[in-house]
Amino acid sequence: MSHAIRLTDVTKRFNGVTAVEELTLAVPDGSIYGFIGPNGSGKTTTLRMIMHILLPDHGTIEVLGSADTAAARDRVSYLPEERGLYKKMPVRRLLRYYGQLKGRTIAELDPAIDEWLARLGMQGWDGKKVEALSKGMSQKVQLVAAVISKPSLLILDEPFSGLDPVNAEALKDGVLEMRRRGTTVVFSTHDMATAEKMCDRIFMIFRGRKVLDGTLDEIQSVYGVDTVRVRTAGGASILAEMPDVKVTNDYGQMQEVQLTADPQRFLQQLVGRTAVYHFEVTRPSLHDIFVRIARPPEVIDGRLQP
Amino acid sequence: MKNKALIVALSEFTTLVRSKGFLVGLVLMPVFMAIAFGMQRFTRNATDVNDRIFVVVDRSGALFGPLKAAADDWNRATVPAAGDAQTQPRYFPTEATFDSGDDEARARLSDRVKRGEIFAFVEIPADALNPDTKSTVSYHSNHPGYRPLPSWIATALNREIVSQRFRTASIDRAVVVRLTRRVEVSELGLLARDSSGAVKPAARVDRVRTTAIPIGIMMIILFSVVSSAPQLLNSVIEEKMSRISEVLIGSVTPYQLMMGKLIGSAGVSVLLAAIYMAGGVATARHFGYGDAISAGDLAWVLVFLPLAVIMFGSIFITIGAACSDLKDAQGMMTPAMLVLMLPWMTVFAVINAPDSPVSVALSLFPTNAPFLMLLRIGIAPGPPLWQIAIAVVLAAATTFALVYAAGKILRTGLLMQGKAATLGEMWKWVRAD
Repeated sequence: MSHAIRLTDVTKRFNGVTAVEELTLAVPDGSIYGFIGPNGSGKTTTLRMIMHILLPDHGTIEVLGSADTAAARDRVSYLPEERGLYKKMPVRRLLRYYGQLKGRTIAELDPAIDEWLARLGMQGWDGKKVEALSKGMSQKVQLVAAVISKPSLLILDEPFSGLDPVNAEALKDGVLEMRRRGTTVVFSTHDMATAEKMCDRIFMIFRGRKVLDGTLDEIQSVYGVDTVRVRTAGGASILAEMPDVKVTNDYGQMQEVQLTADPQRFLQQLVGRTAVYHFEVTRPSLHDIFVRIARPPEVIDGRLQP
Repeated sequence: MKNKALIVALSEFTTLVRSKGFLVGLVLMPVFMAIAFGMQRFTRNATDVNDRIFVVVDRSGALFGPLKAAADDWNRATVPAAGDAQTQPRYFPTEATFDSGDDEARARLSDRVKRGEIFAFVEIPADALNPDTKSTVSYHSNHPGYRPLPSWIATALNREIVSQRFRTASIDRAVVVRLTRRVEVSELGLLARDSSGAVKPAARVDRVRTTAIPIGIMMIILFSVVSSAPQLLNSVIEEKMSRISEVLIGSVTPYQLMMGKLIGSAGVSVLLAAIYMAGGVATARHFGYGDAISAGDLAWVLVFLPLAVIMFGSIFITIGAACSDLKDAQGMMTPAMLVLMLPWMTVFAVINAPDSPVSVALSLFPTNAPFLMLLRIGIAPGPPLWQIAIAVVLAAATTFALVYAAGKILRTGLLMQGKAATLGEMWKWVRAD
């Protein structure tokens, strides 16, 4: 399998603080790869190194088969988190400018601009200044700016953050269209549901180190079948008194429980204490896995709890 | 494929030229000059024409009468022709007497001045007509900044005092005036020969030609740089704050980005200067000074203008890269603007003595050279060629060094957020590989 991105033992430090440590990663060609991790964990630093915006202190980065990431610049597009657009520039002029910087001519760009603006429901907006656009529209323009140069690799930093469902859907369709056209897509997100649904593979970075890397199935299988979703008459207060409960996520009407014991044994105990309306054995969601990894350790009696 | 720096340059140029700031800048200079010219004409005629009543204490006993007569003559002369406005105040001296040691009387007159009953009071000493004493006429007023009345009194009194002294000495003043009439010195240029070898008469030195036009050319360059170079700071700050820089650095190198910005800014400056120069040449021709702006002057403009724009553009890009918001940038911008305005602050020192050591040093200093050396070139006979060569070399070397440093600082600063970088940090960035 060929890889669009290959990182080997990459380390990056800022003023002595390690942002990324000995990171090794391979992003297969044509895949959608999700980067997840808490704020400040090293996601953006990693993306910037892939984009050659930052250089690693140690290790190697290969992008589209070239160890000189600068050489691949014109085949890689980047959409930063929010903004990234000149407010006073009309949309078409901005898109032409960004496209030309990727080595395309205006004759090549104009049809692509028209096609993508139409696809994202923005016909007729090409003459408007960016400052006249809503946040959702700006985000769409950013996506158009990133895709009109027909990149082989598309890197998106938090592309769906703060968008309403309609705009998020439009952007998601745009990303999937790029994958259909053979572009490898890497995006970072805090939206675990999106990552679960869209990504072929998911990578999680925490405190600069890789903690997850694989398909959703592979990741979930590592964490086993130790989670149940329950709806009971007693609610969360009953669960707090139960043995074998490691962590409870209370959603009000329903609770998600991580167990330390067999779910069947837990069900028997639960039925003995309250009326059970719903009981579902499930694998931990990406959200749960994320929280398990990134949740700050509790301090009880002055001691850190695992 | 077009060079990416040129794509950036074209975008910068188009953005700047289409901005309101450019249009405002374009009309601002001629409007500013028109306002200055108009204000000068307006203020020349817009003098205070209120009557000036003042008290004269004439202890000589011989001067109040002539002073009163002189005031009457003056007042008749100030009566405007029909339809014209009065442009000078009228003077009304009234006589008073008190002893020279009577401070109470002086205090009472001072109170009258304060109440606005009189404008001033004047004391003429008893020995004012004696040529062998150094007596002084005292003028008291609470308007120390108002010069016309004391000047007029001094002129009128001295004319009368000198006339009376001549009479006392039995000398005809008219003869003295005729014999002591000044001989004017006329300033001329050198004689030259035309193509047939005939000697052409020397032209009279013309201040417009020798001073105003060189200053005008320098001002055009200065204004073009002031209008365009600081825009680079805003551009870099906007790109940093809006994370546009991340998109750009994903497509071009920081050096390409910076060179594109500098070329675009230089293009705007050259366009501005060309428009102003065309206007200046047309105006000069209209007033008969078409030959005062030579092709050589314009050639030097083309040498110094890009140097100035790129030099100051690099400085402003550096400031933009080192700061994360406009507030931080304002503080760092002040010293850069002072350096940029230094040529204007020293322009008259150079005009008065263009070949003095101070003028030479100022015009060789790299940040001044594009402006002050150009000014000296415009003032005949102009500096020696070796001085121009040194100025160009020093300015070019400084520009090169600043571009190099700005490129390094931009590379690091473009992605930096938070507090502004210190000079020490910027120096580290410059030295980093």
